[in-house]
Amino acid sequence: MQLASIADEARLALATFAERAVGIVAPSLRLGVTGLARAGKTVFITALVHNLIHGGRLPLFKAYSSGRITGAALEPQPDDDVPRFDYEQHVRDLVDERVWPDSTRRISELRLAIRYESATFLNRSLGRGLLNLDIVDYPGEWLLDLPLLGKDYVTWSGEALAFARAPARQGLAAPWLARAAAARAEAREDEAVARELAALFTAYLTACRANDHIATEPPGRFLMPGDLAGSPALTFAPLENAGGNPASSLGAMMARRYEAYKDAVVRPFFRDHFARLDRQIVLVDALEALNAGPAALGDLEAALASILASFRVGRAGWLTGLIARRIDRILFAATKADHLHHGDHDRLEAILAKVVERAITQAKFAGAQVEVLALASVRATREGTVTQHGERLPSIIGTPLPGESLDGRVYDGAGEIAMFPGDLPEEAETVFSRQAETSLRFLRFRPPKLEQTAEGLSLSLPHIRLDRALEFLIGDWLA
Amino acid sequence: MTKPPRRPTAFRIDELTKLDPAYEPGIGAPPALSSEPDELAESEADGADAQATPPRQSRRWSQLLAAAVSGLIVLAVGLAVDNLIEGLFSRSSILGWLGIVLAGLAGVALLALAIREIVGLLRIRRIADIHQRAAAAATADDREEARAVTRALIALYDRRPEMARSRTELGRHVREIIDGRDLIELAETGLLIPLDEAARRTILASAKRVAMVTTISPRALVDLVFVGAEIIRLVRRLATLYGGRPGTLGFLKLTRAAIGHLAVTGGLAMGDSLVSQLLGHGLASRLSAKLGEGVVNGLLTARVGIAAIELCRPLPFLTGQPPRLADVMSELTRLSRVGKDA
Repeated sequence: MQLASIADEARLALATFAERAVGIVAPSLRLGVTGLARAGKTVFITALVHNLIHGGRLPLFKAYSSGRITGAALEPQPDDDVPRFDYEQHVRDLVDERVWPDSTRRISELRLAIRYESATFLNRSLGRGLLNLDIVDYPGEWLLDLPLLGKDYVTWSGEALAFARAPARQGLAAPWLARAAAARAEAREDEAVARELAALFTAYLTACRANDHIATEPPGRFLMPGDLAGSPALTFAPLENAGGNPASSLGAMMARRYEAYKDAVVRPFFRDHFARLDRQIVLVDALEALNAGPAALGDLEAALASILASFRVGRAGWLTGLIARRIDRILFAATKADHLHHGDHDRLEAILAKVVERAITQAKFAGAQVEVLALASVRATREGTVTQHGERLPSIIGTPLPGESLDGRVYDGAGEIAMFPGDLPEEAETVFSRQAETSLRFLRFRPPKLEQTAEGLSLSLPHIRLDRALEFLIGDWLA
Repeated sequence: MTKPPRRPTAFRIDELTKLDPAYEPGIGAPPALSSEPDELAESEADGADAQATPPRQSRRWSQLLAAAVSGLIVLAVGLAVDNLIEGLFSRSSILGWLGIVLAGLAGVALLALAIREIVGLLRIRRIADIHQRAAAAATADDREEARAVTRALIALYDRRPEMARSRTELGRHVREIIDGRDLIELAETGLLIPLDEAARRTILASAKRVAMVTTISPRALVDLVFVGAEIIRLVRRLATLYGGRPGTLGFLKLTRAAIGHLAVTGGLAMGDSLVSQLLGHGLASRLSAKLGEGVVNGLLTARVGIAAIELCRPLPFLTGQPPRLADVMSELTRLSRVGKDA
């Protein structure tokens, strides 16, 4: 798919070449943390940095456990026009307040400098023993825009209308669909009509997100407009008969604005952050989708497949590697694995592998390494076994967030509960079918209370398989 | 599985009955809680621990013969002792009592020896069992089995003070959520890699000693006796290193297995090519016939040692590397070059 213009490509190649030249002395690795809204990107980044800086329990991250990493510290990031990732505030939220960080509203970046000694003699004597890890955090909603780069207004209009007419969403979309049916694409352009349509369309997108808990429908910036609120680039909506309209008709205006949205919003985002990744972790909140039912899971699958198609996956040769970055390792992680007993982790991984099956096949075909993990960046629960009516229920123990409820009981966020969330299906395929929506319920838990050492130092954040994720993502750069 | 999926349920933790009153929930600790107020309500059989027994070997005539002959020998010894004591009593009752006391002491000592041997044999069997289960768990990436194996391994090295820290660390890992193969690799890195290094040094030292003695010994018979003795010593030291005292019978069993293993794996042991061995041999024998002989004997010792490691090591090699013959070879040729120069 051609997503970037030729000028963009040239600029990218130059930037990459310059970075590679600098990288000879201090190599930098760009880690893409990808995930839809509320998949846990911010928490993952915070936990990763916290564990590396504070020396967490990372037995499977070999460079660390064998004592070759001498230290890690936050350093000024390379891009001066991007806000810094507010690591300190997120750690305070997690550790002191025991709340999850607010959802991300803007893009931010951070650089983690890892000092290490290579295990091989040659690298130890030649290399600097320094790896700069650049990580970008951004609102997951924006990610939904990437597939738009490859679509024109007519295609997108058709798809968006079809999506809105699906039975699950028909109720939510009714006001907008009614107004859109009344609007005529070949009519003369009218700002008032455009504003009205855009407002109704935005309301529908917001309702969709509130209903499913997962945003799966572009354009993402409508949900989180920021500075662009009210600008023409954000005042458009899909129309029937979108193609072949005369100039200065409503349809032509919408199409123009759609292109403006792509140029002003999507392309810079893609060019500056996604076209330049070396490694990628895709965080998927499969539990939330399972909570919401098979239809939501299907939407998630489609959204992920179209997003992942816009990444540059594959192995770069040493020569092409000078001017082009390629993602040669992708990790698919089912986050919030701590909301499930570990006995079900294998099944969770199987379900995720099923959800991202298309993306995995593509990535493997392009020559990238792929792994699927059940991950908890911050482990909020402990495990236990509860016996009830002679049956052993493998349960998790933790403090649910205030307002979470199960079987009519609402929790206040103070007391601990032991919770059995139900058995995940043994066959991953069945979660997509109707019959599966029976007996699964996942509550959300508060971040854990950290254990303290005798001297009053708080230990690092507990996690599940974060070390394995790190080993896969950056382990070979520290070999 | 036809079991219907169970419904999600939640309990307030203070409304549950702790089946183990001393239990304090900690990260990773598996508490046992019950929703029923009665502590004895828990009644379920855990069938998961039942293990398949290995198929019995068919009895052979030779075994019957051995059993019968050893029975006869025991009877003969008993009769002889009985006759002896009777004879002693007929001379003097003091001598008779002395005989009884001595016979009793001998019996106690024999019993102690037998117990030690049995403990040694059981240890070997335990190690073989851990090895087998660990290999299976690593292949299947089985979390629960790996956890059980790691616990068994920690218990095996319970009496080694120098491993205290690695044992504690590993104990913490067992309580965390780590996948099967990863956990066994962690156990290997934590507990066995230091032992591997010691084993490698032991083998190297033995091989060097054998090569040296063969080179300077005047007679072939001396070589033969020395090589035999050195191999026995080596196997015993390796067994002690990995799994505690094996006992005499256990040791015999191990040596037999090691030599059998050697016969099976043949010349292509441990991924080393036969070519390098022959090449090395050629190189050494060109230096001097006697030196070449020394190198060959040293290599033989090392090979028995490597086979013994395979048998004594409680885990398969996952992250670690078995000592390679090439290492021994280079060490030995260096030795012979020094000998040549001298």
